[in-house]
Amino acid sequence: MSALLPVASTAEVRRYARDLFRRHPRALGVTVGLHALAAVAGLVGPRLLGELVESIQHGRGVSTVDRLAALIAGFVVLQAVLIRFAYLASARLGERVLAGLREEFVERVLALPLSTVERAGSGDLLTRTTRDVDALSRCVRLAVPETMIAMIVGILVVAAMFAVTPVLALPLLVAVPILVPGTRWYLKRAPEAYLKQNATYSTVTDGLAETVEGARTVDALRRQRQRTERTDTDLHRSYLAERATLFLRTVWFPIVELSWVLPVVATLLVGGALYLRGTVTLGQLTAAVVYAQMLVDPVDRLLSWLDELQVGAASLARLLGVAEGEAEPRAGAVPVPAGTGIEVRGLRFAYVAGREVLHGIDLTLTPGERLAIVGPSGAGKSTLGRLLAGVHQPTAGTITVGGVSLDDLPLDRLRAEVALVSQEHHVFIGTVRDNVAMVRPGAGEHEVRTALAAVNALDWALTLPAGLDTEVGAGGHSLSSAQAQQIALARLVLADPHTLVLDEATSLLDPRAARDLERSLAAVLHGRTVVAIAHRLFSAHDADRVAVVEDGRITELGSHDDLVAANGSYAALWRSWHGERTPAERIPAGGDGERTTAGGDAERTPAGGDAQRITAGGNAEPAIAGADRAD
Amino acid sequence: MRQLPDAEPGTPDGRSATHYLVWLVRRFRSTVFPAIGLAILWMLCQAVVPAIVGKAIDAAVRHDGDGLFTWSMVLLAVGAGQAYFGVARHRFAVVNFLGAMFVTVQVTVRQAGRLGSALSRRIDTGEVVAIGTADIRAVGAALDITARGTGSLIAVVVVTVILLTTSVPLGLVVLVGVPVLMAVVGLLIKPLHHRQQLTREQQGRLTARAADLVGGLRVLRGVGGEAVTAERYRAESQALRSAGVRTAGVESLLEAAQVLLPGIFLVLVTWLGARFALGGHITVGQLVSFYAYAAFLVAPLRQLTEALDKLTRGHVASRRVVGLLDAVTDLPDPSSPRPADQLAGDLADPQSGVVVRCGEITAIVAAEPADAARIADRLGRYAEGGVSAGVPLDEFALATVRRRVLVADNDARLFTGPLRADLDPGGSGRLPAALHAAAATDIVEALPDGLDSEVAERGRTFSGGQQQRLRLVRALVADPPALILVEPTSAVDAHTEARIADRLATTRPGRTTVICTSSPLVLDRTDRVCYVEAGRVVADGSHHDLLATEPRYARTVLREDQS
Repeated sequence: MSALLPVASTAEVRRYARDLFRRHPRALGVTVGLHALAAVAGLVGPRLLGELVESIQHGRGVSTVDRLAALIAGFVVLQAVLIRFAYLASARLGERVLAGLREEFVERVLALPLSTVERAGSGDLLTRTTRDVDALSRCVRLAVPETMIAMIVGILVVAAMFAVTPVLALPLLVAVPILVPGTRWYLKRAPEAYLKQNATYSTVTDGLAETVEGARTVDALRRQRQRTERTDTDLHRSYLAERATLFLRTVWFPIVELSWVLPVVATLLVGGALYLRGTVTLGQLTAAVVYAQMLVDPVDRLLSWLDELQVGAASLARLLGVAEGEAEPRAGAVPVPAGTGIEVRGLRFAYVAGREVLHGIDLTLTPGERLAIVGPSGAGKSTLGRLLAGVHQPTAGTITVGGVSLDDLPLDRLRAEVALVSQEHHVFIGTVRDNVAMVRPGAGEHEVRTALAAVNALDWALTLPAGLDTEVGAGGHSLSSAQAQQIALARLVLADPHTLVLDEATSLLDPRAARDLERSLAAVLHGRTVVAIAHRLFSAHDADRVAVVEDGRITELGSHDDLVAANGSYAALWRSWHGERTPAERIPAGGDGERTTAGGDAERTPAGGDAQRITAGGNAEPAIAGADRAD
Repeated sequence: MRQLPDAEPGTPDGRSATHYLVWLVRRFRSTVFPAIGLAILWMLCQAVVPAIVGKAIDAAVRHDGDGLFTWSMVLLAVGAGQAYFGVARHRFAVVNFLGAMFVTVQVTVRQAGRLGSALSRRIDTGEVVAIGTADIRAVGAALDITARGTGSLIAVVVVTVILLTTSVPLGLVVLVGVPVLMAVVGLLIKPLHHRQQLTREQQGRLTARAADLVGGLRVLRGVGGEAVTAERYRAESQALRSAGVRTAGVESLLEAAQVLLPGIFLVLVTWLGARFALGGHITVGQLVSFYAYAAFLVAPLRQLTEALDKLTRGHVASRRVVGLLDAVTDLPDPSSPRPADQLAGDLADPQSGVVVRCGEITAIVAAEPADAARIADRLGRYAEGGVSAGVPLDEFALATVRRRVLVADNDARLFTGPLRADLDPGGSGRLPAALHAAAATDIVEALPDGLDSEVAERGRTFSGGQQQRLRLVRALVADPPALILVEPTSAVDAHTEARIADRLATTRPGRTTVICTSSPLVLDRTDRVCYVEAGRVVADGSHHDLLATEPRYARTVLREDQS
């Protein structure tokens, strides 16, 4: 349905991971060093145990035994202390790397061109932001240090065996011929199989959630049987996926278990034979056998974290992929617009190649004027508004502000020129104050209050449980859609650009409140250029000029009175509002505060980035992000 | 491997969480007990390894080459056995895990179906949804751990016996020492869990903030604010980093303790063993195996701790399942319900005075829209009070009423899966006509795979108005004798609303339709309008009559700003 965001290649992931650790060479060195020292301390014990055994065999005194035991104890304590600090060091490093990673990722997301996000759908981005960041966290917190420790310990155990008697290290190799190919076989298949398995569980969980949350619907439509059947089908799919992964484990687990015992057997046989011949001492034999058994733990750890590492690498690839295909920051000096007038010339636009939505629009906005854009559903009004705000780039033609193309302005500069408020209202997690002040860092209390007052929102905002400090957004105090829309407008007032595009920005308020708000807003925005896309004709009536957009073109342009006098389609629309109520031309009964989409004729705001589909749909209603249902 | 899920989960024992778990064990006894048996064999194989290694070394010390070879081969055989029993046990355990999990899902979904609209009134919906996420795994894990838990218990017993027969004092040291060790480590784990929980919560908040940021990306693009948002995220990310480091502080202590305590204990055992060996009480080989046993015991004891933990979690999760199983509907069927054929005649809601005549389109206009929704609930027996031809609706079985009356409101959920399956699960053939009536044909045409397209969760990819029209299609396809539509066109644009109103008037000839709305366009197409104020009908008649005679009605339906 939609093209997903790119995924970074394996080579890029490797390079990035390497660079990441190279950025913290000291911390990495300390971590590895501490773990290595701890492992060495851990290896001394068995070595001394061998000596202990020999001293008994040779009938040395109690004092030797006591001395050796005390020595072993000393090393245990040393090992414990080292482990504590090694662990802490690796956690510090891991958390630092992790924080850097996710912050960098979020910065990239924030800098993504909106068109990219809409093409890919916010679902994919959301998955990466949540699931992949979480998966990577798990990987960096657990899998990376565990495998690192396992590798250090494993290498040191083998080294210790070489130190005891090099010849006794050789039997260890017997496990390699089965362990290596077996593990390769498993790892080649495991990640995909487990991903598939997890996906089936999401389906089960989601299916259960919708049955429970939609219990009334199930009841009303008597869908109980369908829901149980659906559940059982989903479960069966999970079962099949589980069976597939179980097969992989059925092959791999015995290989792993055998590869633990084989080296011990080989060490016993070879070492025993050598001891019988007098080539090695009993102490060396004992130590070698103990070392061979000690190898089980690091190998086991290493193997059990390998697939987590793979998952982490896959997540990292998806996180890094977000930055790909992103336009390089424009080099050179930032052009400075001369003036605030906006010129649109020969503007054409298509969300999908070949399906043009706007077919050549020319428009000149005089600074300070209020232009209303009206027209039927799907005519391209919202698209025009978004292009005017620089959200999308024209397919052909130009939009300039003060002679400079909107495309050439960096984002923060662009926002100082033009801002857009759509009917899409999103309340961010944070306080009411945060929600308004976010567009202007450092805005004072007075400015926030003034902005809220300008959109008639200060009164209700002050009556919230903690006034402007009330936490709102997901998980906080919930605001009505009308209130959310007022917050969005308050942001705009505070941002104070010279040109504003309002796309059905008051559609969720009831008509009387909307008109009051628009009037109070007009007073605050005096001198600013305002482009208002509206389905309520009073907005058009109050504007300086009205543009009628039909089928991707401006068909009528002029003052309200001129257009009414011209007796075109605007005049007909106007009469249908105020004249007799004939069904086909009737305006919506509108805004009893309940409807979230007072819809009228706004053509589109794709919810999940399904631009193609909704545009093709023609008269689709506006989708309100964050609102799942119609009311 | 046994095929899962079973066609029917059976009747769970919902008396208590323990009863539920026991019921699951009994239900899956054909795999639970083999898994336990195999786990015991698997653990025993591991338990005898140190003894065999000791024997082999003793043989070497005696310069007994044959003995060394024999014991090495025994070790190999035991290793092979361990591998075999291990994987066989695992296969059964997976069936137990899946079986318990699947049955719990099945039981939950079936109970949710039984409770229906009563579910949200009787029990916290979030709690029930949580069953589907974490609880099913906890229940599955509880059943899974029965095998390894039992195996570990047996292994501990066997090793204890071996140690005691070798040397009573040394065996006693191990026997007392190891549990004490585990207990101490267990004590350390508690604060760690607490810290980890805090970190997880912090992580959750950060994830929520990131999701929030992605959700609001378009808004940010419109008015700016990216810098502040990024800064806020960074602040929380750094807070999480500090929390992570603090957790690691506790974690690192635990890691150190897990080395220190068993290590010191091992030294103690070895030292005592060495002294016994010096005294000739035990052999050198026995000393080595003592060392190995004391080290080995840590593993089964850890598994025992894990088993306790998983059983506890499984118990907690089962409590939630049992809570759901316990819930009973607040709309019970009467003990002797009236036959379905008596459910005919005009529907009415005496409380408000609304009467719905058979075969007509009745509109309910309420000054407060919530009043209309409440009336609809009573007429559809979602609340007490509705009557049919004078007989209270609660004298009929709920299923009878549901078959006859369908209340379709805007809270109705669109279900995931192919669109066709949600709109017309029975393949009634009414779908094209319903799509036309609800002016929804264009929605389907625009979909990549038409009616076979997948519906996203809650129909999210559809706009509010599209969702509303699809809900209407679904209600029309269901084609109940009496259809009650609550605000069916509140989110669609005027042109579409006009079309729907026209078509609704003709799409259900001879059937009873109730529409709660305040849109004059829809009202114009109804046979009769009941106007409700403060929960009571204050006027009724045709839309035009009411417009002319009832100024309050006119104000309610023509509320646009007329300037």
